[in-house]
Order: sequence, then C-alpha cells, then structure tokens
Amino acid sequence: MSDVMSMVVGEIVLNRELVPRHFLMRVKLPASLAIPLPGQFVMVRIRGRIEPLLGRPLSIYAFERDKTALVIELLYRTMGKGTFALSRLKPGEDLEILGPLGHGFDIFPEIKKIVLLAGGIGVVPLSFLASHYRKLPTNDHRIIAYLGAKSADHIVGMDRLKETCTEIKISTDDGSSGYRGFVTELLAEDIESYLHGDSVIYACGPRAMMKRLAELLKDQDISCQVSVEERMACGVGACLGCAIHVKAGGDKTQYRCACQDGPVFDIRDIVWN
Amino acid sequence: MKNKKEQINNSEPSMAVDIGGLILKNPLMTASGTFGYGKEYAPYIDINRLGALIVKGLSLEARKGNPPPRIMETPCGMLNAIGMENVGVRAFIDEKLPFLRSFDVAVIANIFGETINEYKKIAAILSTVEGIHGLEINISCPNVKRGGIAFGAHPDTAYEVTGAVKSFTDLPVIVKLTPNVGDIAEIAESVEAAGADAISLINTLTGMSVDIEQRAPHLKNITGGLSGPAIKPIALRMVWEVVNRVSIPVIGVGGIIDANDALEFLIVGARAVQIGTANFINPRATLDILEGIDNYLKRHHMKDINDLIGTLKDGR
Ligand SMILES: Cc1cc2nc3c(=O)[nH]c(=O)nc-3n(C[C@H](O)[C@H](O)[C@H](O)COP(=O)(O)OP(=O)(O)OC[C@H]3O[C@@H](n4cnc5c(N)ncnc54)[C@H](O)[C@@H]3O)c2cc1C
Ligand SMILES: Cc1cc2nc3c(=O)[nH]c(=O)nc-3n(C[C@H](O)[C@H](O)[C@H](O)COP(=O)(O)O)c2cc1C
Ligand code: FES
Repeated sequence: MSDVMSMVVGEIVLNRELVPRHFLMRVKLPASLAIPLPGQFVMVRIRGRIEPLLGRPLSIYAFERDKTALVIELLYRTMGKGTFALSRLKPGEDLEILGPLGHGFDIFPEIKKIVLLAGGIGVVPLSFLASHYRKLPTNDHRIIAYLGAKSADHIVGMDRLKETCTEIKISTDDGSSGYRGFVTELLAEDIESYLHGDSVIYACGPRAMMKRLAELLKDQDISCQVSVEERMACGVGACLGCAIHVKAGGDKTQYRCACQDGPVFDIRDIVWN
Repeated sequence: MKNKKEQINNSEPSMAVDIGGLILKNPLMTASGTFGYGKEYAPYIDINRLGALIVKGLSLEARKGNPPPRIMETPCGMLNAIGMENVGVRAFIDEKLPFLRSFDVAVIANIFGETINEYKKIAAILSTVEGIHGLEINISCPNVKRGGIAFGAHPDTAYEVTGAVKSFTDLPVIVKLTPNVGDIAEIAESVEAAGADAISLINTLTGMSVDIEQRAPHLKNITGGLSGPAIKPIALRMVWEVVNRVSIPVIGVGGIIDANDALEFLIVGARAVQIGTANFINPRATLDILEGIDNYLKRHHMKDINDLIGTLKDGR
C-alpha cells in the first residue's frame, strides 16, 4: 500500500524555556511527512519509554521544509508528567511523532479581517494560522490578535505575532500588562467593527474563555471557529476518548471526536454547558 | 528476484492458528474498542497482514456514550469510560462493513446488549451479512449501567447469554470475559459448557483516579476500565488459570505492547493475542509484534507457532 503513513521518529534540535514553564521545541522529521495545516496537531511520545504511556497532543506552531527534512516547531506549557518529561529532553534525543492529525482551520482568503482570540497557550495554532494567511498570494488581510494571559510573564508567542499581525491587543487577569480582565471583554469592546460578513474569528484557549466567546457571539452575525482541547489517547478517532458534545439538529446532541472531527469546530455547533 | 522471495517465504515459520474453526493466518488481533472500525488505522498499517480485526463493540441501537472526560492516564496504563459509544449494528453494516470487506482479514464483530434478547437480535442480524467471520460476545464492559458486566460476573448468566447467542448464529462465537470476578475459571467453564467456541480474556479492570486539587474524580463517570501494561500480570495469570480448565481456545488480552509480552501469553497457552492500548501508542504495534514472534520462532528453530503455544514448563 503506497498510502501507508507511519509513526515517525524525530530528532530534537532545540528545546528552550522561553518564559517560566513555556518551552519552544524544534523537531527534525523525515521530509516525506505531510505538510501540516494550521490547527493540526501531532501526538508526541518520548521514544523507548513506557512512562508516560500515551502520546500527548501538541499543536503545530510553525514548520520549515527542505529536501531532506521537515522541521516542526512546538510550543508547550508544562502541566503534568508528560510535558515535564518533554521539557527535560536535550537536542539530539528522539521523539515519536504521529501526525499531522485532525482537521485544521478553514481558510477564507476572501474575508479581509482576521480576528484571533488566544487564551494562554492557545496562541500556538493561531500564530501558525496568522503566518498562513500572511503567505497567501493576496496578502491583504488585516490580522488583529487578542491575547489573554494570567499575567505579563505568561505571555508567549508575541515575537511571531508581531511579524504577522496588523494589531495585537493584550489583556491579563492581574493587569500586569495591557487590559485588566478577560480577553473576551477586550474583544467585546470592538465586536461591532467585525460584524456583517467581512471578518472571521478564530479562537483557542481555556474552555471558560471559549464559552464566554460563544455567549458573546450568540446573536451576532460573524463566523467563528474554535480549536478545542480534550484528553486524547489515540489521536486518530479509534478510542473515542476525546468526546466533544455537539449539536445534531433540533434538540438533539451527539459526541464527536475532538481529534478526528476537530480539533477545530464552528463555535455554534458546540454544546458548552 | 521472485524466486528469491519465494525461497524466503518457504522458510518462514507457519503462523496460522485455529480459533474454534476460524483459521487465522496469524494470531495477531486488534482488541475491540482500540482499533475503531478499521478505517481509522488503515492509513498507518497494512490491515491485510492482521490475523483478525475486532471492531468496536456494537449494540442494537446507536449509543451516545458517556460524557467527557472519558480517559485518564495512570501509571503504565489508562482508565477509560467511553460507555460503549457506537453507531449501532445496522449503521455498522451499511456504513462501516463495506470498507472492511475490501481486506483479506477475518473480521470479528464484538457485540454488546442490555438484555439477553438484544444479544440474540444482534447476533442474528450479523450472521446474515457477508464479511463477518466471527462474533465476540462482550459480557464484560464495566462502563455501562445495564448489561455487559452484569452478565459476565456470574456463571449462570454467562452460560445463558452464550447459549442464547449460539442458538442464533452459525458463526464461531468467542466469549470475552471480565477479570472483575472472584473465580475466572468457573465462568470460563460455564461458557464452554454453553457452547462457546473460544474465550478471550481479559477485558478492563474497574479502576478509579482522583484529582486532588479539585477533590473530584478525573473521569466524569467516576470509575473506568483499566488497560495497558499495568494489567498484564493479571491477564497472564487469568489466561493461565483458564487454559488449565477448559479445552476450547483461549485468546490472551491485556497490556501486551511488544513481542515479548505476546510470547508470554502464547507460552502460557493462549492460542492468539489481542492488542489494545498499544495501538494508541504505536499504530503498527500488531505488526511489530508479529515480526518479533516470527524472529523468536526462527531463533528457536520452530517451524510452526503451534509448537510454541502452551509450552510453559513447571515452576523453578
Ligand atoms: C489538539 C490539542 C492541541 C494542544 N496543543 C497544545 C500546545 O500547542 N501547547 C500546549 O502546551 N498544550 C497543548 N495542548 C494541551 C496538552 O496536550 C496538555 O497540556 C498535555 O497533554 C498535558 O499532559 P501532561 O502529561 O503534562 O499532564 P497530565 O499529567 O496528563 O495532566 C496535568 C494536567 O493537564 C490537564 N490536561 C491533560 N490533558 C490535557 C489536554 N489534552 N488538554 C488540556 N489539558 C490537559 C489535566 O487535566 C491536568 O490538570 C493541546 C491539547 C490538544 C487536545
Ligand atoms: C478505549 C477503550 C475502549 C474499549 N472498548 C471495548 C469494547 O467496545 N468492547 C470490548 O469488548 N472491549 C473494549 N475494550 C477493552 C479492550 O478490548 C481490551 O480488552 C482491554 O483494553 C485490555 O487490553 P489492553 O491492555 O491491550 O488494552 C476497550 C478498551 C479501551 C482502552
Ligand atoms: S483521541 Fe482517540 S478518538 Fe480521539
């Protein structure tokens, strides 16, 4: 079978702490791997170790490709044993990578205002998305990023966003940088200017943030795609572990796989309660 | 070139095994619920090389499953509380089975009911369609309120379900047992007496895990089924107990992630093995294990895998 993909072994070429608990990792992979799309992710495991057992889903932050290799960038925050173990790896060590997986964001070249709403580490897929829009032949998009974080020292990804975005607005929970409060409140102030068809919102962040966003957009005329997070085991739609509750017409609801059917969904399709 | 390849093939040890009349080209099976309906892993592995593919558990009607979070990792294992989410037996036949028919692999349907009547109905429906080679009756799911484990926990009910399914199908019937019982061999004897063609064990062990910061269970369902390397010693012990008490084939399941694990089960007496959680870690796990067993047989100058099965020596 010619279309057999496989789990590949990647070599770490960089693994550096950018701000406390946030690491940038570059992994060199075979050039034959499919080109990742914004919103897609990979399952990452440390080679040859039984603990942690399962791969960890991480969004693709950026990639570079030449004839000999595909280098992907990951940006991750240490949460528990999996990400802590990753943070201790050194360049030259191997990782097992499955991917790129999932459906990425829909791209709308004809829509001119691109609004990004990122909560914390949610900036990762959105940053990739912004650079993707920048590389489109038309390259005439206004890209406005709203970045929310706990405090100033938790803000990551600014450097890249500065290269791609027209405007960046910051909010922190403690007011140590930018607006004090939730990033959704910051967006709410501007929402009028994005309505009626010339804008699209892309969001990724904690569930509470996305739920507020869903409430904010409830009766508004604007399309919005969100990338959701669920715990995953397989990443390919086989275990049904990553269930996400979505509407299924009328009063009906159903579960879909965040990994295979997502991780990007239309915000209005998700049951947030 | 061709001749050379044939030569190599001729010296290959025979891997074929007989599971209650179902002849498999090798003893590697995918465990139910860990390989979807096959399509999910088709891009990653050559499905034609599997001994058998067991699909996600099917019920009469589609089931929505349990609310998330449904999975949690534990030391060397995972807890799941999927709650038997599946498309239902008819949608399986219409939407999933045509894809599976395109492969040269034994397809085994894992079935689950809330009542004995439901088991019968599903068995009857599946027995009339082309492309199903065997049934695996799941009387061992810990994640549903009714049915499943309730049947597998007692010799009498296990006997009853097995007999009922047998009378509604001509397909080989494998009964999958739960480890969440006092005496596994007693249940095994009972399903053998009811006419089971083979037994697979084990399903997951009921477990739990708590988030100490939230002081709440990690799983919405509170408890879940434990699988992965953590359960292998228990699965192996149970297979050993059961092979010594029944004469029908036993299929070993539980925590197998590499060829050495699989070999332990075969030596103890399992005639085939199912690979579950390992698929999530490495989509090629089944085939890597198959190659590892092949190497082992060559290293030990065995021409047939059946020369290895059940060769456990006395304790040292
Ligand atoms: C599609 C997808 C893309 C992701 N992209 C990124 C990314 O680019 N960068 C990044 O830092 N993180 C990302 N995550 C989250 C990341 O996968 C988790 O932080 C990680 O799996 C936690 O593993 P751990 O072993 O460190 O923590 P564990 O020891 O497993 O758990 C520690 C804590 O992390 C929480 N957690 C566990 N799994 C997840 C999960 N899947 N999502 C959210 N929280 C979780 C647990 O509830 C617990 O509170 C993504 C998740 C998904 C589903
Ligand atoms: C996510 C998940 C879903 C499962 N679903 C089923 C199922 O539908 N029917 C069934 O009989 N067993 C099911 N099982 C149990 C497995 O088939 C297997 O018995 C168990 O996981 C032990 O093997 P392992 O340690 O190799 O995973 C499931 C297991 C997991 C992890
Ligand atoms: S992680 Fe297995 S189905 Fe999504």
